[in-house]
Amino acid sequence: MANRLDGKVAVVTGGGRGIGRGIALLLAAEGASVVVNDLGCEVDGTGSSRVPADAVVSEIQDRGGQATANYDNVIEMAGGESVIQSASDAYGKVDILVNSVAIIKDRMIYQMTQEDWDEVVNNNVKGVFTPTRFACILFRQQRSGRIVNLTSDAGLGAVGTSNFSAASEGIVGLTRTVARDMGRYGVTCNAVSAMARTRLFPGLVSEYREGGAGLTPEDVAGIGPSPAVIRWEGAGSPDDPENVAPLAVLLCTDSIPDVNGYVLGIRGGSIYLYSNPQIERSIHKLGQYTMDEMDVLVPKMIATGMGN
Amino acid sequence: MGDRLTGKVAIVTGSGRGIGRGVAMLLAEEGASVVVNDLGGNLDGTDASASPADEVVAEIRSGGGTAIANHDSVATYTGAGGIVKTAIETYGKVDILCHVAGILRDRMVFNMSEEEWDAVLAVHLKGAFNTVRHVVPYMIDQRYGRICLFSSGSGLGNTGQANYSAAKEGMVGFARSLSRELVPHGITVNAIYPGGQTRMTGSVPDTARELRAARGVIGGGQMAGRALENSQESRDPGNNAPKVVYLCTEAGGQITGQVIGTSGWPMTLYSSRHVIRSIHKDGRWTLDELEDIVPSALVAGLVNPAPPPQPEGEGPTA
Repeated sequence: MANRLDGKVAVVTGGGRGIGRGIALLLAAEGASVVVNDLGCEVDGTGSSRVPADAVVSEIQDRGGQATANYDNVIEMAGGESVIQSASDAYGKVDILVNSVAIIKDRMIYQMTQEDWDEVVNNNVKGVFTPTRFACILFRQQRSGRIVNLTSDAGLGAVGTSNFSAASEGIVGLTRTVARDMGRYGVTCNAVSAMARTRLFPGLVSEYREGGAGLTPEDVAGIGPSPAVIRWEGAGSPDDPENVAPLAVLLCTDSIPDVNGYVLGIRGGSIYLYSNPQIERSIHKLGQYTMDEMDVLVPKMIATGMGN
Repeated sequence: MGDRLTGKVAIVTGSGRGIGRGVAMLLAEEGASVVVNDLGGNLDGTDASASPADEVVAEIRSGGGTAIANHDSVATYTGAGGIVKTAIETYGKVDILCHVAGILRDRMVFNMSEEEWDAVLAVHLKGAFNTVRHVVPYMIDQRYGRICLFSSGSGLGNTGQANYSAAKEGMVGFARSLSRELVPHGITVNAIYPGGQTRMTGSVPDTARELRAARGVIGGGQMAGRALENSQESRDPGNNAPKVVYLCTEAGGQITGQVIGTSGWPMTLYSSRHVIRSIHKDGRWTLDELEDIVPSALVAGLVNPAPPPQPEGEGPTA
């Protein structure tokens, strides 16, 4: 067992399966005591079960690590408070929070119900907010902390998943602001856009991304489609959710403290740094634009090269 | 009066004041029939009043334009249904939706209450879903639509606005995906980063701005290259209107799925977040490898937008 995180305490929400499980395992392997939180619900957010969290705790303990299970529902404020409190109760403090809960309810907008929207946005964004809000109280007091929020590139533009897109990019906005609320206390908060085969995205990453008309989020991000043939050496496969853990855990260590408020990405053996949105084109005038000026200037200067 | 929008019907939420009012008035000046929606509440969303929306309608009408007031709340699904119903029953259709309605409940994240979170997400982001969901069937039917969802540079990172930043950047993700889905139906969707001196921005105390500056907190908008406005006239909220209204014209349909800045004098186009650096390996990374390569290759030169204060005796303290 390595020891980068000896003496640290980590909370991983959604740590019972998929990407969260992989992160919990690696945090524990690095010496952290881990609270594995998982409601144990279905992909659409229904139901609950203690099995996923318990299974990961057993796995960690079998490998000689420290872990306890927690089953709180972090969509609720009380759940967010409780999961942080339980870490405090079990291990005396919290150093690391990894938010890895998500559900999915894909629909075209004209078929999307209120519930489809509310459940995805609440689960995926409010589910990040509540444990963060309570962890930050402790982080502020102790002048240190690490927060990693799992998200996706759906918010770069994806068809049939506008609720998930809104939630995913909402997590990015939240990340950037928490980074600025907390940075001065020695805390970093970053987002990881992860592409892996999980319950939420059960196809091979390369297969899943095909079939949408026009550009995929990867195209927009500048990554492009997965290569048709991937040479892979060592453990797992390119689509394995455990591939995400090393990047997420790196962001939980002290090795890159200036990385605060950024979005990184991971797909298989590829790790990405995303830009902050920039002003790419602008038109200027000392005064309010007239509509006549808009008619001429916008197509020429702002909309250049836009195909629509 | 112009005629770019003659025969078109527009809904503008939050148009009783500030930026929304400016947009509604210019849409009407270009010949659109406008539903002026405003709950008429306080900046934090409490209370309600018919006056703001009614006054804007009166002003539009006295200028020869066509408008009707609506006082429903965008934050509820039925409220948004009421707004769209007003458009359909009064004018028979809807071509344009500008969702400008917004409230502020600023708080540092470690103090933010559930109510502060829920209220802001409800008006801004759920409000976007509610209004879009109700107009889309009509727009699809007629194979035409123009939707502008008002986001904010706060989505690029601010302090004391975890709720607002989440809602506002969520709006951007929503707009980008909606655009993909709806462009085949002749409907364009853009997100707006607006600005100006309004009731909302006026509520941010100068002390808060000074504190951010003194602590060296770099707003995401500054990182994006957004120049700080200086002149009083450039801060007139009406400056947003021509750029927004252009996007709502037929010609403006060339632009979709974009983030457009309309604050002050300039009109700007924002990039999306792109991959700018990458590292590759034909296998799973180990922490040893990442510790070696990431600091020098992937994250070299990245600036912490809110660094901790320097220890005593090493430069300015916060």
